[in-house]
Amino acid sequence: MVLLCVVAAGPAGAWAQWLNYPTPGIPRLASGAPNLSAPAPRTPDGKPDFSGMWFANVPSRDFCKEKDCIQEERMAREQINLGIKLKDGLPYTEWSKEQMKARRANGGREDPHAYCMPPNFPRAWTLPQHSRIVQTPGMMVVLHEFNAAYREVYLDGRPLPMNPNPSWNGYSTGHWEGDTLVIETNGIRDDMWLDIQGSPVTESARVTERLKRVNFGLMQIEISVNDPRAYTRPWSVTIEMALIVDTQMLEEICIDNEKDTRLYQK
Amino acid sequence: MKNGTSHLARLSTLLGLCLALVPAASAHHSQSEYDLRAKVDVEGAVTKVEWKSPHAWIYVDVTSDNGQTVNWSFELPSPVTLMRRGWTRDSLKPGDRVKVTGAPAKNFPTIAIANFIRDESGKPLFTGTTQINEPEAETK
Repeated sequence: MVLLCVVAAGPAGAWAQWLNYPTPGIPRLASGAPNLSAPAPRTPDGKPDFSGMWFANVPSRDFCKEKDCIQEERMAREQINLGIKLKDGLPYTEWSKEQMKARRANGGREDPHAYCMPPNFPRAWTLPQHSRIVQTPGMMVVLHEFNAAYREVYLDGRPLPMNPNPSWNGYSTGHWEGDTLVIETNGIRDDMWLDIQGSPVTESARVTERLKRVNFGLMQIEISVNDPRAYTRPWSVTIEMALIVDTQMLEEICIDNEKDTRLYQK
Repeated sequence: MKNGTSHLARLSTLLGLCLALVPAASAHHSQSEYDLRAKVDVEGAVTKVEWKSPHAWIYVDVTSDNGQTVNWSFELPSPVTLMRRGWTRDSLKPGDRVKVTGAPAKNFPTIAIANFIRDESGKPLFTGTTQINEPEAETK
């Protein structure tokens, strides 16, 4: 009955797709609301289970009196500037500063994302589309709504590849340090942007993501980038991801109706 | 037609707040193609709805005082975002009369990004919320 009430309380369009369909098997309060403060779930072998839908932990607010600001969206500040929480910002090399100066002068119009290129990690964590983690003992798969993309993280102990062919997601392996899953990635492309302001990352980068599920509803990801071409020293930022329940992933195929880049013409 | 291409010196407080807090509506592009400090305010009939990613678009026939009709293009967020705020592909249909407020494209006189869509009486046609279940952040 509680679940029925949860469903019935959904907004208009609640029965379209499974936008408001209760996720089974999750801890709930007496009201039927998900108990997001419950302990983090674990796999049968005792490891934290990161499986679930995730979105940047952005406070939800309604800025408009009548809730009709069409462009209002939940969005991580790191989407604009991944180093926004660092006191001195990201430690760009002179080469990176030149890249960003040119990108800024052009209004950010060369951002591969604007041309529907894939959502690369770690940027994808900050985008306003959802991710879904599917965790198995030997592999973590991360699905992303933008372009219905996927990413593999091998947990079977294999080493990172030597001189791999560069790709948008690179090549990722993961190992456990206590309850933290440490994901190492190499083999990413030279032409990716880490954020809208154009922070570069190059093929020389080693990216480390340290995933920690704080409780049922919250995950922390410490993102570390060691890229001597783009940054004067290794740096780390921590972002938070909120578990999203009682809904589903929805595909967002960017090339389907991309009409903004035509407006860049002068 | 109501002040179809006038550029205001400043935005309304509400619009300014929305734009300031949402510098990139969908993350798909930087929005540098729009003059976010200017304002478009038109009224007309919907002629087409494109309910596709990465952005939905609506097209509106706007007739000026001299009887000339111009078809405006308005960019909306992605259908995915709109659906999560309770809107559907049927929320707007060709023939619906709407008042649209937005910011114009810098180099295209009849293209804009929509910020508000209301009916002829001024009642919001689309209302939604970004409210979802969310945990308390433990680190700041």
